[in-house]
Amino acid sequence: MEEPFNEQESLQLIREMIDNAKARLEAGSFFYLLWGWLVLAATLIHFSLLYTRFAYPYLVWPVIMVVGLAGTFYGIRKSKRKAKAKTYLATSIGFLWGGFSVMLFILLFTAMKGNIHWAVFNILIIALYGLCIFVSGGIIRFKPLIWGGIASWVIAVASLFIAPQYTFLSIALSIVVSYLIPGYLLRNKENASNHV
Amino acid sequence: MFKELDPLLHSQLRLSIMSLLISLESAEFSYLLEQTRASKGNLSIQLNKLKEAGYISIRKSFRNNYPLTTCKITPKGVKAFENYVETLSEYINKKKP
Repeated sequence: MEEPFNEQESLQLIREMIDNAKARLEAGSFFYLLWGWLVLAATLIHFSLLYTRFAYPYLVWPVIMVVGLAGTFYGIRKSKRKAKAKTYLATSIGFLWGGFSVMLFILLFTAMKGNIHWAVFNILIIALYGLCIFVSGGIIRFKPLIWGGIASWVIAVASLFIAPQYTFLSIALSIVVSYLIPGYLLRNKENASNHV
Repeated sequence: MFKELDPLLHSQLRLSIMSLLISLESAEFSYLLEQTRASKGNLSIQLNKLKEAGYISIRKSFRNNYPLTTCKITPKGVKAFENYVETLSEYINKKKP
């Protein structure tokens, strides 16, 4: 049943199989686009409401969170069904963003307690998701995400020099450059690799 | 003197399975079937041989009422694979003029 094969063929086979396993691009664009559009919408609504008489502009966030979490669970469920194989990369990225969620709630709690100003919270969040985008880009070796992460850091630092209410516009800008643009580029890459 | 290549790994299908599993955290039976292009029967036999040697672990469960077989390389399997590659490179280096 088994055909004999020599050392060169053996090495060739190992290379081929490892390449096949590595070729599975982690489908992440769905999550970047989902959260990108949701956070962009929430930020712009919150910013607009600052100029109205509405007393609770921040109420847009819990709504966005619930929609985002539902979408995230749906996306994870769908990709698990489709995946057939689990990679270390996907697990690492999952841990990274899981950790980000915990940090988000710690900072949110700190800001709600009044220990930090909301503008500082906004800036720290921009820098924090910048870090996650940067590392995710490094893990899947996708440059637009790496650059997106760096752009978010630059925006975070620049936001230290603007009026507090405009930090919402900083979030909007950083979401476009670090979530939406890389998200669409990643989706194009995923579609291209699925049709080869 | 050359070390002998692990006969359990020096087989096309078993080496393919191990090379895939070394790069992944776990893989389903259907994924291995797709990648190795082996027959279901042959793949099952070779997976069991690797399992008996302690090179991989096999978990059987259900998804949507269908049986689901998931394979994972063990630390012993990783060591065996590393040894195999090391021996292989010794052979190849020795053969170079």
